[in-house]
Amino acid sequence: MPAETAKQFEALEANAQTLLSVFTRGGFEAVSPAIIQPASVFLDVVGEKLRARTYVFSDPDGDELCMRPDITVPTCRLHLERHPDADVPAKYSYNGPAFRFQPLGSGHAHTREFRQTGIEAFGEANRERAEAEVVATIVSGLEAAGLSGYQLRFGDLGLLRAILRASDMPSRWRQRLMHLFWHPAAFKAELNRLTVEPGSASTHIPKALADALDPDNPEAAEAAVATYLEDKGIEVIGLRSTAEVADNLLGRVADARSEPLSAKTAQLIASYVAIVAPARASGRRLRELATLMGVNIEAAVGAHEWRLELLAQAGVDLDRAEFSADFGRQLEYYTGFVFEVVTQGLGRRSPVAGGGRYDHLLKAVGAPQDVPAVGAAVHTDRLLAAVTNGNGGAHV
Amino acid sequence: MSEKLILGVPSKGRLMEQTQEAFAAAGLTLRKTGNERGYRGEVAELPEIDVAFISASEIAWNLKTGRVHLGVTGEDLVSEQMSDAASRVTFLKKLGFGNADVVVAVPDCWIDVRTMADLAEIALPFRRAHGRWYRVATKYLNLTRRFFATKGLSDYRIVESLGATEGTPAAGTAELIVDITTTGTTLAANGLRILDDGLVLRSEANLVSSNLAEWTPATRNAMNEIAARMAG
Repeated sequence: MPAETAKQFEALEANAQTLLSVFTRGGFEAVSPAIIQPASVFLDVVGEKLRARTYVFSDPDGDELCMRPDITVPTCRLHLERHPDADVPAKYSYNGPAFRFQPLGSGHAHTREFRQTGIEAFGEANRERAEAEVVATIVSGLEAAGLSGYQLRFGDLGLLRAILRASDMPSRWRQRLMHLFWHPAAFKAELNRLTVEPGSASTHIPKALADALDPDNPEAAEAAVATYLEDKGIEVIGLRSTAEVADNLLGRVADARSEPLSAKTAQLIASYVAIVAPARASGRRLRELATLMGVNIEAAVGAHEWRLELLAQAGVDLDRAEFSADFGRQLEYYTGFVFEVVTQGLGRRSPVAGGGRYDHLLKAVGAPQDVPAVGAAVHTDRLLAAVTNGNGGAHV
Repeated sequence: MSEKLILGVPSKGRLMEQTQEAFAAAGLTLRKTGNERGYRGEVAELPEIDVAFISASEIAWNLKTGRVHLGVTGEDLVSEQMSDAASRVTFLKKLGFGNADVVVAVPDCWIDVRTMADLAEIALPFRRAHGRWYRVATKYLNLTRRFFATKGLSDYRIVESLGATEGTPAAGTAELIVDITTTGTTLAANGLRILDDGLVLRSEANLVSSNLAEWTPATRNAMNEIAARMAG
């Protein structure tokens, strides 16, 4: 909708400038990362599903480029250009267009060209403080732009990690469940499989080979697989080695020998994922669950409550906030705390702002090590729609 | 755009011959007008039709944009080139040739990977070992993405491949492929095996109508006439 965007340009720009002035006053240096970005960075970090939503193209040199689908990754790249070792803390703000294909057509809350105004904080070791600062800064910006009727939604992948760590299971299962959290249906199926028949995949291993695979003697496994392939006349091709195949098969044999996941543990995990509570009551709900199941997740619950405390101190109204354990499944690059700001008018599918912690992103983009990072962006077109459509008035 | 119905058919090779045979079986003579190397033609029995001989890979695009009313093309190309095929085109008749399957195939030496679920399972270990997601070579970018999404797979990279796709795993430029196959012999010769649940699409040549072409009573009559003869 380029014509409408042009018509609304001044109003959008005014909104964005209000946000930016709040952000820069908070110490977030204004930067302008490039609009055209190498596609591979996004596809590597976010995955192929991003291709469905991103304008990817080849330039005359044959390089695969894209119109940036968000501004977080470009800001990470900008930071690394300035500080290749990523060893300097920095706070940035930005304002500009981002681009996403809208498969159901371009509506006013889902335009293919939309404006994001946001902030990123890199390298702040005090995690909860950095997270609270980002939320408080975004909320002040939104209020300065005239938004008053809104709700906040919080999630925290750190809590899920703590629950998996406290649960009795092989580390291989823990990694798999953590990874599958972003695929709700597969997560549920895997949880069920581990409870009922963790060895199901091992039944497909050919008998001749299965006898030669012993998790207590991993060195012999690769040779056994190589012999099997040779006997069958199967040529080894590609980069994935026979050792990797053997490793995977060994894991399956180990799964078959493991005790299934206890019903109690499966229930703990399922009950956790189902928690939705007012933010103020969420700490208590989490503790009740931990006590009931006899696990210790105190450090993670403590961090969660400390963050809420810092948010309240920074002036964020917790009565508007809800904690949802299920939240955070949308974008795979988030690694911990996540939040979004929603309005009744636009609904949950069209948050006005959102963000969270993504500690692996800078390394994925080229930093030599993981760097603590937290950020958030305002969908400026939606903010304008919310403010002009009555969410600037009464507290909803 | 002319008043006549425009029918797009493959412009050369086996596909053109088979299209002509399919029309001949329905009593319709598909032939070029003027120069034998030209790209315009007619159906001898139905003067109200203009025939456009078009490169097989471009017929789907012509249907999608409404530049032809009817076309002969494979389901694979229609599905690949349209995210909303059902709203843009209508499949009128399967023509019984050009049969081929679009499949997911992995190196046969991956004896631990028989299903899409197995493939999902090795994503994380592969990334740990090689520092990136595994690569899928294909010319079917959209079909691949959609199929993998329905199987809950998102951790892979597509490498666009416009020819000799089945050679990419051995060459080391991809780990697995999504490609079209008729008998599977080429896949086997390249050390590849189709996953048990790796059938993405069963494709054959179809008579397809465009919902976006300009339809008048005259062109609609002409379409009904062809459709009736082909069905009979």
